[in-house]
This record gives sequence, C-alpha cells and structure tokens, in this order.
Amino acid sequence: MAEDLNSEIKLSELSTQAGVPPRTIRLYISRGLLAGPLRGGRGAVYGKEHLETLHKIRDLQAKGLTLKEIAHVLAGEGPPEGLPEPAAWWSYRLAPDVFVWVRGDVSPWRSRQIRGALARMTAEISPDEEEEGNDGHRR
Amino acid sequence: MDTDAETTAGVFMPLSAETGAPCELAMQELFLLGKVLPVGAQLLVRHTFRSAEKGPVEVVYSFALPRDAALRRFRVTGKGFSIHSELRALKEAQELYEKGIEGGHLSVLTRQYGDGLVNLNLGNLRPGEEVTVYLEILAGVELRDTGLRFRFPFTLAPSYHAKAKAIEVEPGQGEIELPGEEFGDIILPRWVEDSQSLHRVGFDLKVSMPGGIAEVASPSHPLRVRNKDDSSTQVSLATAGDLPNRDLVLDVRARGALSETFAGVGKDGKGRFAVVVSSDKFGKTTQAPRRVVFVLDRSGSMEGVPIQQALRSVDACLGALSSDDEFGIVAFDDKVALFQTAMVRGDAEARQRAKQFLTGISARGGTELLAGLLEAHRLLAGHGGDVFLVTDGQVFGTEQIIQRLKAGGIRIHCLGIGSASQDRFLSLLARESGGVSRFLTPRERVDIAAVELFSSAGRPLASDLRVEPKGLPRAGILPSPPGAVFQDNPLVVFGATQGEGEGSLEISWHAGQDSKTLSIPIHVGEDGPAGMLRLLQGSRIVTDLETQLGGHGEGAAEKRMESRVARALEKASFEYGLACSLTALVAVLQREGDRPGELPKTRVVPVGMPQDVRFLSYFAVARGVVACELARASDIADREPYSVETSLSPLLARRARRLSNEDVLLELATQLEPDGGLPGGTEEERVIGSLAMLLLLLSEGHTPQQGAFALHVQRILSYLESVGMSWADQDQRKMIDEALCAAKQGRPVEGDWLSLACAYRKNGKITSKRLWKELRAAAEP
Repeated sequence: MAEDLNSEIKLSELSTQAGVPPRTIRLYISRGLLAGPLRGGRGAVYGKEHLETLHKIRDLQAKGLTLKEIAHVLAGEGPPEGLPEPAAWWSYRLAPDVFVWVRGDVSPWRSRQIRGALARMTAEISPDEEEEGNDGHRR
Repeated sequence: MDTDAETTAGVFMPLSAETGAPCELAMQELFLLGKVLPVGAQLLVRHTFRSAEKGPVEVVYSFALPRDAALRRFRVTGKGFSIHSELRALKEAQELYEKGIEGGHLSVLTRQYGDGLVNLNLGNLRPGEEVTVYLEILAGVELRDTGLRFRFPFTLAPSYHAKAKAIEVEPGQGEIELPGEEFGDIILPRWVEDSQSLHRVGFDLKVSMPGGIAEVASPSHPLRVRNKDDSSTQVSLATAGDLPNRDLVLDVRARGALSETFAGVGKDGKGRFAVVVSSDKFGKTTQAPRRVVFVLDRSGSMEGVPIQQALRSVDACLGALSSDDEFGIVAFDDKVALFQTAMVRGDAEARQRAKQFLTGISARGGTELLAGLLEAHRLLAGHGGDVFLVTDGQVFGTEQIIQRLKAGGIRIHCLGIGSASQDRFLSLLARESGGVSRFLTPRERVDIAAVELFSSAGRPLASDLRVEPKGLPRAGILPSPPGAVFQDNPLVVFGATQGEGEGSLEISWHAGQDSKTLSIPIHVGEDGPAGMLRLLQGSRIVTDLETQLGGHGEGAAEKRMESRVARALEKASFEYGLACSLTALVAVLQREGDRPGELPKTRVVPVGMPQDVRFLSYFAVARGVVACELARASDIADREPYSVETSLSPLLARRARRLSNEDVLLELATQLEPDGGLPGGTEEERVIGSLAMLLLLLSEGHTPQQGAFALHVQRILSYLESVGMSWADQDQRKMIDEALCAAKQGRPVEGDWLSLACAYRKNGKITSKRLWKELRAAAEP
C-alpha cells in the first residue's frame, strides 16, 4: 500500500518532481506524448512511468529533437537517426513559368557561377516586358 | 472603457474555405476596441472562445504586445456570469490558476514572457460553451511632428533564435520551440501558411487629436472613417472581417505640427500631465559631417519584398552622404559580411563600390542581429557615430540584445520592415540606445521613409536635453526623457504633480556650441484624461524596467543590479495596476456542475503566417522524420516554389518597370557628386542637370527645411551657389538666380521638371534649351 502511495502522485507533485509546469504536462498529454492520468476524474493520479516519460522528453529535447520528433520516438516509430541529412535549397524564379532549385550549401565560387548562368538564362527566356514610356516614367 | 462599443461592434464567423461551413475553432474572433491619443492608446481586445469538444478544454492564445504596452485587467463573460481579473505576484497567480483547473473551475490567466510575448490561458471551457475575454491593454504610438502611427499585432511574427527549433509539423503548418532554460514554459502558437480558416479579426477605434485631424489612412487594412468632430474620428474595418496575418497599421495626420499638452487630476487626487513638443521647436538639422554604419538584415525571413525594400533603402541613403561623411556597411544573417573592414569616406567612388556590394546581397540564413550590431560597433571603434539598422526585427531574446548594445554605447536608429510587428523591440532598441525608429510595412514606400529617417541620423537637433517642471506642486518627470531630439521626432514627457495647478515645463539643451531653452506652459485642471495618462505613464515605466531585467549578468554585481530592477518592476506593476513578467492577471469562477479533477485538453490557437514572410523561410529546412516526408519528390513537385531574386508581387513588379517621381528622385539623388551637383561632361551640363533636379524636388514638396530630400536640396543649392557660370548670358543668369531664390524660400516653380529630370536620367545630360524654355514660361505672368 505504501508503495502504491509513493508511485501514485497528483499532477502538482508530478510537476515538482519532473521540474515541468502542470500546464506543459497537460499540453504533452493533449499532444499524445504522455499518457493520461492513471485514474481520471476527482483525485486523478499519475505514476512512475509518467515521471520517466517526462525525463525522457527532457533528454530528447536536450538532444535537439522537437516535440513532433519526440512523439515519433515515444510511439516506437524509430529514432530519427539514420535518416538522410536534410538540405536547404534555394528557389529562383527565372520566369513566371520557370523555377530552378539550387542546393543552398554550395561553395561561394560555385554559387557565383550558378547565379551567373541563371542570370544569362533569365535574359534569354524572359517574355518581353511591358514597354516603358519615352522617359521610362509614370506621370 | 467604451462599453457601448463592446456590444455594438460586429461579430464574425470563420467559414471553411472548402465547405463554407462554420469552422470549429477554439478562438472564433479577435476584435480591437479603444481610443488612440498622440501620447498612447487605451485598448480593449475582445477574444471570443467557443468549444466544439466533448470534454473540457484549456485554450492557449499567444500574442505579442505592441510598443510600450502593458496589460491592465480583463473581464470574462459567458452565459449568466461576468468576472474580473486580479493582479497577483506571478507565483501566486499561477497557483490560483492551477488550483482552479484542478477544481474544474473556469480559470483564466494572462502571463507575460520575455520579448513582450503573452500567453492568455482559458481553462475548463465546457463543451459547446462560448466565453468572451475582454483584455485591456495600454500601448504606445509612433509619433512624428505631423501625426502618429498606431500599430497593433493581429498575428505573431515567427522569429529567430540560435537555439530555437523550427519544424513544419503538417503541410503548411509550422512550429517553433524555444529553449526552456531561457524562455520558461511559454507556449508558442502554430503558424499557418494559409490563414483563411483561422479566427477573424476586426477593429473599431476612436482616434483623437486636440489640434485637429487632417487625415486617417492605413497601409494594412481597408478603413471606414466616421468623423465625430474636428478633433476625433471613429475608425473601423471597412469589410466584414479580416485575417490574422498582419498588424493593423493606422496613420493619423494632424493639422499642423503636433505640440500638445494633456493634463488632468485623477481620482487619487494626483495631477498627471503628458507634453508633446514637436521637433521644429528645437531648430533645424545642420549638415555637420557624420559617421554612420548601415547594418542590413539579410536573413531568410527578409526574403522577397522586404530584402528588396531594405536594399533600396540603403541605396537611397548612400545618395545622401557627402564626402565629409564616413560610412560602413554590415550585412548579416547567421554570418556577417562587411563592405570594408574600416570606415570609408562618402565620396562618389566609395558610394559606387558600396552599391556594387549591395547588388551581391540576397536573403538567407538566421538572424544574428547582435553579431551584426557588434561588428558595427567595432567599425565605429569608439570614435562615436550612429548605426542605421534595417531589419524585420524577427529575433527572440531581445532584452539581452538591448542590454548588450546599451553597454556598448552606440546610438542605433532602426528602420523596421514587416507586416507583423517587432515594433516593440525596435522602438526599445532605438530608445535605449538614444536613437529613433520607424516601422513600415513591406508594401509601403520604404526607401523614401529611409531617406527621411537617415537625414536625422548623426545630427540631433538637441543634445544634453534637460527637462524640469516649474511652478507645479511636488511635480516630477517619469520616465526620464531622452537625452537628444531628432528631426521629425517630437519630445514626449510624462509627469505627475500634487493636484491642480499652473506651471511650466522648462526644457534646456545644446545645439552645437549654443545653449537653448524653451518653456511650455502646463495647466492641470479638474478635467482631462488623468486616468489614461497615469496608465500610459505606468506602461512606459514598466516596459523600460522590463527591458533592463534581461541583462542576465553572471557576476555578483550584475545579479544585485538585476534583483534591484526586479524589485522596482514589481513595485511599479502593483503601483500602476499593470501586469509585467513578474506579476500576472488571474480569475477563477466556481460554477455549478464543475467537475473537479477532470483533465482539460489543451488547444493552442494557431496564428497566420505574416503576410510577406515566406513560410519556407522559417520552416523550409525540416528535420528528422519530417525531412523524409518533405524530401519526397511528389511533395516538392506539389509545393509552389518561392523565389529569392524576383519575388516582387505583380503590383510591385509593375511599379518597378514604371518609374514614379520618387523613383526618379531617388536615382538622381544617389548620383550627386561630393560637391552636391549632378555629374556631367561640362560645368554647363552639370548646372543644367542639377537645376532641373532641384526644381523637381521643389515641385514635389521638398525644401531646404522639410521633406525626405531636404538634405539633397541643401546640397544642390550649395553647389549651384558656389559654381562659376561664365558660360551663361545675362538672361540665363537672371533665370538661375530667380530659381535659386525660389528654392531657398521653399517655393515651387511651375514647369515640367519631371520630363527634364527623366531626360537627364536617360542621357546623362539635358539640352539647355528645354530648361530655359520652361523657366521663361514660368516667369511669364
């Protein structure tokens, strides 16, 4: 019985022990990161596994995972390790009907080379723009 | 507050874009009410929450405070009840809220975090229930000699922090998570690329200016304006509802220069006053040489129209430099790039090279604003000078940035560009460092505003400013007024006194070597907005202290200082009845049928991605599991690509092809030689071109004393007065002299100067015959 009392705690105690505010715990439960209380309604209680999960969430956050990723890990859908490294891409609109994607981490000289080529291509494929007035201005 | 307006303003119903059926949102509507004065605004924000869930819900709505803002109180209403908030110390308020939640009671808590972010929590909203929270906020306005700009954030700008994690959690929906050790338990909203399905926003505001209102306009929303009398106007949204994807921006132009005194005696028997003194009372800007470093934000969030606008702005400001000035350029994202490693003279050759440097800049990466500003500080190398910062200000951890820079002692002028406000941060950064700030939307003419702001950088009208009340019993000034006044930026002073009385505000300052004084009479009578003045004064004091709280010093002395600031902040919070990050507003209502212990589901209200900020600029580099999803070829094919280089909206693209008068002026302004004249093959060509530009400037309302191009007018005048004109005959000399006389008086001369200026722009010279013909025609009676 004494063991039960120790392992069943109220939300406020869970919050104190885990160092996570009650509002955040409710958010985790709503997002499916943490299971709901062991008993609902008046006198809702939480167990040791809640505390462990909260510690696990904190550890995974410290490793740089977002809550979305942590949800995947906790759901047993496999850690994000082993996935291909993400890459940033720049998108250039050369014309209304032509877009070109260029990898964002290319070296500066390569970037200049590509941009130069894109500028030439833009000039070649651009549709004729609306002509300016004689003076090139609007009255 | 205006309770009539609370009940009469419209109610919206968000509809699904696909089915047209009402959306089941936790928050249905956000409606802004209140009044705006030149010294600040007293606002009432109506939040309507409705639950479509089967069990109790805890709704969390996150929002950003406007400039100089503080929360005063809230009222919660629903079927058969109405309760008011109490201001409590933070810990106490949180405990009350948690106890309320645990007891199954309706509980509401507003808590302020760093960066002026607020979480409004509404717990135990019952199934099918509708509850309205009226939140009262005091806020500042951006003041100019000619009027004011009021800005209210209807969405929250996503921002950069080196330790933040940004991720696209669903297609078109992104989340940002901040490190808890630095930002506490703040809950940020989900950013939604398409805000069509979100809650609706609207507004109905009373705007008052004792001296009379000449015009009310908005670059952000369609307006319906109902004039009440000469000095007040009711301004509301012209359409049935709008989307939460940008700030409300209201421009109110006054009749004449804005110099007003507001005063009155409050219920506590204390007299309150606020004095606005237009900058023209402090003299005129001089052409003293200056040292300026342009700091340009080229982070990913600036991508598209904002970076184009920022580049045009710096380009335009370069044209206002003379060879006596020194300048530098720093461009930053998560790396810092320099135009030159030291300050350079503002001659034509250096300006040309600077333009070349600007052409190589595009938006990318994070926003290491502090690194950029510290580099500017290094460039100035302790020899004094000003920083001209062009940014969207989208960074978290702003208090730390402000404290670091304040310690560095550099004066920062901020030009903000963005549709979702970081106005609070930039106005604080400028004020704390002794500079001035402007915040524009990307759809405005930012370059002209930049030239206008830049004309005052490094050239205060008044330095070593001192302000003292005289003749009023036990009067005091708080918060401390700024040490300098800049062109087009009025001085605003708040103060309190013991009851009614007659007195004055004695202002003294230095203008160059001269000492000057000014006396402003103050009459504190029974009538007057004393209550509002007290709250606005309090919200300024609380905001200033809040900024000082973010120093995060490691040493014992810093910690003692921070502790002192915290005590002062908490004291001010309770004295003025305004919440801060150390206090909070809370209300708990026990009702029949409350179900203690039942766990409410948390629902975080999503907000719209700010208009003109690309969703992918924050959420493009998805990580981990989501990276896999994003990397699928089909997803990329379905996603509309975005553009770095040519992403101007069709409207702006059209404008880029068809030059406006301002475009022509800006282009010519950047060509001015160090002596103030336009370039040319011969002296005659230079004079003819410069004269045509001068006459165009005059016709557009720019004089040596006023307008964005005032400095340019002065420089051209100075050139034309000093240059030899042996080539001109007597008749031509006479016409030139008359034109110069008109220019000095700020009097426009009739003629088609635009055509001539355009011809110069196109060919690099003008046929003098055309100029003489226009001048002769103008001289004819």
